[in-house]
Amino acid sequence: MTITRRNFLKWSGIGALGTVVFAGCGIPEEELLVQSPATMPEDMVTGLEAWYATSCAQCNNGEGIIVRIIEGRAIKIEGNPDHPVSKGKTSVRSQAGLQVLYNPDRLTGPMKRTGNRGLGEFEPITWDEALAEVLPKLTGTKSVAMITDPVSGSLGRVIKEFVDRNGTRHMALESMEQTVLTRTVRDMFGQEVMPVFDISNADYVLNFGADFLSTWLSPVQYSRAYGEFRQGHGHRGTLVHIEPRMSMTAANADKWHYVTPGTEGLVALSIAYVLVKDFAQDIDQETLSLMTGGGGVSALASYAPESTVDATGLTPEVIENIAHELTKSEHSLVIGGGAAAAHINGLFNMRAIYSLNLLLGNIGKKGGIRFNPEPADFGIDKRDAVATFQDWKTLRDDLSSGKTDTLLIHGANPAYTLESINFTDGAKNAKTIISFSSFLDESSALADIILPDHTYLESWGDHDPDPGPGYQTVTFQQPVVFPFNQDVGRGTRSFGDVLLDLDSKLGNSPSYSNMKEAVRARATKLYDQNRGSVQSGNFEAFWISVLQRGGWWDEKSSGPNEGPTKPITSAEMAAEYDVPNTTAEYPFHLIPFESNSITDGRGANQPWLQAAPDPLSTATWETWVEINAKKADELGIKEGDEVEIASSTGFINALAYPNPASSPEVLSVPTGLGHKHYGNFEIGPDMFRSLVGKGRGSNVMAIINPVQDKDTGALAWSDTKVNIKKTGKWIRLPKFEGVVPPQYEEGLFPIVKPEH
Amino acid sequence: MVIEVIERQTRKWQMVVDVDKCTGCQACVIACQVENNVALNSDEIFRQRRATEWIRIERYWEGEFPNVKARFLPVLCQQCGNAPCEPVCPVFATYHNDQGLNVQVYNRCVGTRYCQNNCPYHVRFFNFWEPVWPESLRNHLNPDVTVRSRGVMEKCTFCVQRIRRGELDADREGRQLKDGDIQPACAQACPTDALVFGDISDSNSRVSGFAENKRKFHLREELGTDTNVIYLAKVDAEAKDRSHA
Amino acid sequence: MRKVNPIILIAISVVGFGGLLIAGVAVFFLFNAWFGLPVGAQAPDQPIDFPHTVHSGSIENGGLGLDCTFCHRNVAEGAAATVPSVQQCMFCHKQITGTSDKAKIEISKLTELSEAGQPVNWKRVHRLPDHVEFVHDAHIRYFSEMNGISASEVCSTCHGDVASMVKVKQVRALKMGDCVDCHRKYSAPTDCTICHR
Repeated sequence: MTITRRNFLKWSGIGALGTVVFAGCGIPEEELLVQSPATMPEDMVTGLEAWYATSCAQCNNGEGIIVRIIEGRAIKIEGNPDHPVSKGKTSVRSQAGLQVLYNPDRLTGPMKRTGNRGLGEFEPITWDEALAEVLPKLTGTKSVAMITDPVSGSLGRVIKEFVDRNGTRHMALESMEQTVLTRTVRDMFGQEVMPVFDISNADYVLNFGADFLSTWLSPVQYSRAYGEFRQGHGHRGTLVHIEPRMSMTAANADKWHYVTPGTEGLVALSIAYVLVKDFAQDIDQETLSLMTGGGGVSALASYAPESTVDATGLTPEVIENIAHELTKSEHSLVIGGGAAAAHINGLFNMRAIYSLNLLLGNIGKKGGIRFNPEPADFGIDKRDAVATFQDWKTLRDDLSSGKTDTLLIHGANPAYTLESINFTDGAKNAKTIISFSSFLDESSALADIILPDHTYLESWGDHDPDPGPGYQTVTFQQPVVFPFNQDVGRGTRSFGDVLLDLDSKLGNSPSYSNMKEAVRARATKLYDQNRGSVQSGNFEAFWISVLQRGGWWDEKSSGPNEGPTKPITSAEMAAEYDVPNTTAEYPFHLIPFESNSITDGRGANQPWLQAAPDPLSTATWETWVEINAKKADELGIKEGDEVEIASSTGFINALAYPNPASSPEVLSVPTGLGHKHYGNFEIGPDMFRSLVGKGRGSNVMAIINPVQDKDTGALAWSDTKVNIKKTGKWIRLPKFEGVVPPQYEEGLFPIVKPEH
Repeated sequence: MVIEVIERQTRKWQMVVDVDKCTGCQACVIACQVENNVALNSDEIFRQRRATEWIRIERYWEGEFPNVKARFLPVLCQQCGNAPCEPVCPVFATYHNDQGLNVQVYNRCVGTRYCQNNCPYHVRFFNFWEPVWPESLRNHLNPDVTVRSRGVMEKCTFCVQRIRRGELDADREGRQLKDGDIQPACAQACPTDALVFGDISDSNSRVSGFAENKRKFHLREELGTDTNVIYLAKVDAEAKDRSHA
Repeated sequence: MRKVNPIILIAISVVGFGGLLIAGVAVFFLFNAWFGLPVGAQAPDQPIDFPHTVHSGSIENGGLGLDCTFCHRNVAEGAAATVPSVQQCMFCHKQITGTSDKAKIEISKLTELSEAGQPVNWKRVHRLPDHVEFVHDAHIRYFSEMNGISASEVCSTCHGDVASMVKVKQVRALKMGDCVDCHRKYSAPTDCTICHR
């Protein structure tokens, strides 16, 4: 029996009160046990760390990561210093990946539904039983749809083979749809993959709504570039941001301009007008003639800043200043995305915005837009299978009418993401739903059978980052730990493996017997090319090396220098869009935004991500609504007031967060909460434990107006108008602000002026 | 071994925080919590204003819509050379070590919270509760870092376990430490490279390169705390003329 | 003599005894904390009677004279001394099944565990609290370089002559005072962060 100094003081204190407590003097039993492992790999040294390179699935752009393993347990995730996308850096989401692997809520094996569909009542079954149940359901059915997240690389190829052979419809679900952007890039620049926005080398970046520092496309890559843009090359770049909400990127901009939602395209054309009128010598004449049909400046006259000011809210001085700065800068760059694309005139907005790059001649230039090459051999572009909002509506109707009767769901949560169109109601009519989710979420709760997948840290794969770093890159994903729920009759199995297994059981002969083989096949292709970051005389050495380095890339394989450039035409400009405006009944624009930590909701079962303060509101754990402080005063709303936000399609409750940065016309609400099943475990000190995800907050995507971009069918998630009213309840908003007193009072924060 | 003692004493760790690069993305905040076994902050802990974040991002609003700015300031233990927390500890649980670190010795701490009260930067956190993790989440605990029990103060250590591991690894391999070998979790994660860590006594290290930077300032310099975290000021063309705090 | 109420006398004696008891308990804790025997001093019974005398005892004494590092492979490479895995025991014990009855019984326990793929649940002999990190390799490197001896010869500095122990017991207190004394003696760093972090 030993006692520590601390405990001694504690006990002597208790002893003085006359109650001697002996319990707890001893050393806990487990500390008196030292277990010799049954077997031990030769290369494993107890207490020494090992780092394995793999790919991050939390950010969705195939960022290379390295995982610290001590005695078979994953302890820490860091960025892969070699990898061209991450270069040793990580986002808040990749950091929390360990809580996916060790999540208490993980399914430990296949489950079979017992209760009614949607109640989430399941019984455990073995893999043999599960596969025996599934097979007859896949044979002889009329129509099968497979819903996944956007997948690239070998898994994409395996899925493609499966769906092609079995006549399955493959639909990838993107919650904050990038379809409009994809279409813009394809139509204007003739590119199938996302280009490189060379932020790091730009002097002046004009950004319409793309929150590239937080969640847009490839945030780690862009954040690295942003660091260099600010203080990397001696000359500090200028970032001007135009968006209805002050997003994280807007907050970091040198200047943020509020714009009436939906009028971003008008602003871009106004800038174009000024460029053409005042800086004719600096602009690309060919683009101009394509844009105006040879009409010159007069064709753009209706977009003169004086004429658009009423609609956009941006004064002519601001527009002129931006146009002036754009031409003055040697390396200018115009980016558009996010809320700017999420309107019924989204494609118009994006085409107008990216036309500025053409006018300024920013294509293929350092600090401008450079094109990425197509994915390396055997690569699959993850956006190939992305379905538009229109497609999802169709699928829902097909499910309701019985035209589609079987759903396979992996890596996506349509029942939650598509709440605005009541996807669940359609799905309930399906004959069979098979889910491959590792967790019980809203969609797997609808399933008849759940065949749980490994997490990304336990399985094989490879990914083609899109947008890539400017050259062909393949991130390899290898299991860094043994499966947490080992497959002994039950346990988890890799989705790819199960799909290949099912395929062969259906009487087909898939090209590979498991995912590892598929990944090796890809590696063989790359090996044969004999170029890039890893080259070797024999394949085994090559294979080990790509796994060690976490990927393969070829810096020489650049994309095309130029492509067909098709700016917005006068006909497109003339098209009428009935962008909805606020009304007396619904006086606010609702701007949903993707949460910096839990993104579209997939992070809602990870306590670290839930507890990561939002950069701007510092709020955690709850759904809040950002409202202008003065407006809130007028309405008698104070922080923590529970408010009801109602659109024409429904309402949600949220906690008010008045702040000085919101426009009085806008309410903005983060995505990701309001789960009915996800994150069903408790954390916290014993006296007040609370559920991590389930029943927490609200899903803002449930009340958005289910309208879409007229041209592409993409979800126009920024086109919802709402009103707000207090419910009378007050709940303290859990936020970091106020946990400690601030370091500086306003106005004392040292800020210096740039040197010229 | 005597040689090693001398080497240790010549190292002085510092961190440079470039506020102009910080985007407020919270990667450092979570990286730190992952690395250092910081107890999970539940919603109720936030509501009670007892959340523990060894490094935090403070956000300031400036002005009002439409002329409004948000400013981010990462704050962590400043590892003061002249630390106000040290003299008030009745049990010598916090002291200054030979590498310039302000060390918190958990097994000595009796939880008087005097140090927390005396810290001008509010970077010391008290364990009001026994930290609990769901059973399976205990798997990701870092074996290099002590799990603090209830009643103990804790704070940023500059990832002293990584410093020690770096030193031991170098020793094991019979080589000298070089700049960049040791990085705390926050600096390693920071996607914009706003946090730079290194040995200021090594004139070739990256942190030494910032020694003469014009944007350099210390937090609450007027207190004379002689901090080892150096800030580089935000740059803004619209900055109002105002003197240093 | 004034008559004292016996109840008061009883009360005084009860309080007195109580106080004495409390003081006694306090002194007991104090002594235990500073001078108490360490965990492993009682040489706990192990699930398998593993005689270090047979394995690492000198050949003259009927042992095999194995190096410590033969089984504790990583002790000079990493922080942890490492208990060998069952698999590692079986490298030899596939062939060596014991000569005496006692040995046969004990080795068969090992074989059974190995076949079942089960670990051996050894009782801990040397234990440091959670908030202490002891780095084996650094100590071994230092002493073996200083004295020009092999890694295995360093072990006895702290662990005593394990080769002569049938049942391993702890011979040094291995409390903080013990560590610090030695660190001072050899002018090793005594900064808290060397062991606590």
